[in-house]
Amino acid sequence: MNMSNNFTSWGRPFTDAKMDMYGGDVTQRYQLGAQQMTVPDDKFSEGVQKTQQPIVTGTSVIGLKFKDGIMLAADNLASYGSLARFKDIQRLYGVGSNTIIGAAGDMSDFQHVQHQLDTLITDEYCHDDGHSLGPAQIYEYMSTLMYHRRSQLNPLWNAFVVGGVDPKSGESTLAYVDLLGTTYSAPTIGTGYASMIAIPLLRRLVEDRQEPLNKEDALDIIKTCMKVLFYRDARSLNKFQVATITKEGSEISQSMSVDTEWGFAEGIRGYGGQTQ
Amino acid sequence: MSIMEYNGGSVVAMRGKKCVAIAGDLRLGNRNMSLAANFEKVFPITQKLYVGLPGLATDVLTLRDTFRFRTNMYKLKEGREIEPNTFAHLVSSTLYERRWSPYFVEPVVAGLDPNNSEPFIAATDLIGCLNFAKDFVVSGTASDKMFGMAESLWEPDLEAEDLFETVSQTLLNGVDRDALSGWGAVVHLITPEKIITRSLKSRMD
Amino acid sequence: MSFSPYTQNGGTILAIAGKDFCVVAGDTRQSEGFSIQSRYETKVWRLNEKATIAANGFAADCKQLVKRVKWRLETYKHAHNREMPLKSIARMVQTMLYGKRFFPFYSYVIIGGIDDDGTGAVYGFDPVGSYERETCRAAGAAQSLLQPFLDNQIYFRNQQPADPTNPPIPGTLPLDNVLAIVTDSFTGATERHIEVGDALEMYVVTNSNCDLGALQQITQSATKTDLEQVAREEAEFNGPKSCKTFKLLRQLKKD
Repeated sequence: MNMSNNFTSWGRPFTDAKMDMYGGDVTQRYQLGAQQMTVPDDKFSEGVQKTQQPIVTGTSVIGLKFKDGIMLAADNLASYGSLARFKDIQRLYGVGSNTIIGAAGDMSDFQHVQHQLDTLITDEYCHDDGHSLGPAQIYEYMSTLMYHRRSQLNPLWNAFVVGGVDPKSGESTLAYVDLLGTTYSAPTIGTGYASMIAIPLLRRLVEDRQEPLNKEDALDIIKTCMKVLFYRDARSLNKFQVATITKEGSEISQSMSVDTEWGFAEGIRGYGGQTQ
Repeated sequence: MSIMEYNGGSVVAMRGKKCVAIAGDLRLGNRNMSLAANFEKVFPITQKLYVGLPGLATDVLTLRDTFRFRTNMYKLKEGREIEPNTFAHLVSSTLYERRWSPYFVEPVVAGLDPNNSEPFIAATDLIGCLNFAKDFVVSGTASDKMFGMAESLWEPDLEAEDLFETVSQTLLNGVDRDALSGWGAVVHLITPEKIITRSLKSRMD
Repeated sequence: MSFSPYTQNGGTILAIAGKDFCVVAGDTRQSEGFSIQSRYETKVWRLNEKATIAANGFAADCKQLVKRVKWRLETYKHAHNREMPLKSIARMVQTMLYGKRFFPFYSYVIIGGIDDDGTGAVYGFDPVGSYERETCRAAGAAQSLLQPFLDNQIYFRNQQPADPTNPPIPGTLPLDNVLAIVTDSFTGATERHIEVGDALEMYVVTNSNCDLGALQQITQSATKTDLEQVAREEAEFNGPKSCKTFKLLRQLKKD
């Protein structure tokens, strides 16, 4: 059971799961020394199961804020260790009419969260009081749920990106919540490998941009990032969906792909064998 | 606990206007137990060059003698005093010689160039990675605290007496928040004309 | 390896008390490991007209703690028809932290505000509730860089008074001096600590006697986003509103 809550080991074969990209032992990284939590043993403890490692996993989700709202993207792959097991999985999910969540990590935990959110939306609808849940409310619910489960030492092994636009105020939300209940919002968000590979690109293309970002340019940026992620993340797939949320409503696209170049790189500076 | 914190101790050096200052505390301890309050860690190399050696006390003494030996040999061969920059590289190569079984000392060098009295400071890690700073260098168990002090107190082109006050306040307030440093301090102020060495009283707890 | 329910999210916080005001400050960077998650995620929250809280450590625990504190203050208001006094908030936070002694909130907490006699006050806590009233306190990633500087500048440690018969008293510095010390502290910490930077939020809790000249001076030289009065319209329990809280935002280096 060598699995860590650190994303660099998610979706990796159990034999090398302990080694992160720097060759270090991820179980040693980001640990708080003596903070080992032990679960009290009782007669029925054998019968209680908790998620201690993710099994079928999705890789990164990315998201950005643009002029009219939020754009999210995630590929269609669900891996089983290093096996590309399911290649037509949807990792973007609409909640109500103005919010979309993207999920990385364990896909069965994600499906559980989908059910919880469906129940929440249905309950709210049945009140018939003219109120509906906007992105801010759904995000609050999800952070509470995730923090609650981590406090039970029974986490939902995911990192979620929540994107949405409030239909009344027009205020857009782009926020993150993970298995520890850690939350934040930012103009660009990436989970897992995207936090290392896509975020530098997104920060340059979105946050350092002077003029307002329109929908078409936002889509181009998303595609660039998904391409680079596909090149460098071994657990990714060149088949992904893009979600767009504006004041008018939300939509999740059909699956798409980007053109890639796998030609021999000898002549390319930085890849080949040139000495100068 | 790291071997770097076995005996405790801290050193700081700063550049001023045509002057440098280097200061170190006086504590010698064995982990949390203080043993002595007269353990100097800053040593003269030439008339205008000092080295501070915070770290494992046994290595402090070894390196002090090694540097004395090597600078004496340098003087015999070259017929002149070693320059601060040259000495910094001597420190670096002496430490890197022991790359895979290092001396547990992170030296600080401070001096004036004998030719033009240009102030010079430098510090290295325990395997000799040089850091030539334009402002100040810190080392030892209170280095993080002294970084906080120095970053706020230091300013360019301080006159000798102002530099003395700045380096003293940096060291004193830094070591007072460090359990492994303190118990008095010594400051060396190096100017083209003279060297002023002052002992500072400080908290003894 | 079993699941670890904690992480560290960097950042640093600081509070300094004055005679008739209190400054509570924190940077706005949130990070995990070497990744900056957000450049603007607040660590300082206004609780009421006399109290502001800062919490630093594991961000999820900090936010949960502050949420609970706000909830307790709201119920107190409904039960007693007045705001909870600062010292009572401090004691309440200690019981809340100690209440989770065996599964602690990984939070370093500082409360700053105005006490019952109108004096500025700072309360510093450890994660399991040990607490103390102080004149100033730094906590978080750059605590070791900031606290010695505060010892020197606020408590006048290692300084000889110019007039020994009339030594300076800690906690009596004027507001403009305190704001300058806070700003310098954070620019210094930003320079030397990778987890500190992006922006600095300073909450200034004032009582009615406080000279707001320093704030007015900043207002004249600053843009609107730099200075914001946080005090909102709220139910009056203590007669005419006396205490105001201001929020100052300053940019720090982003590298």
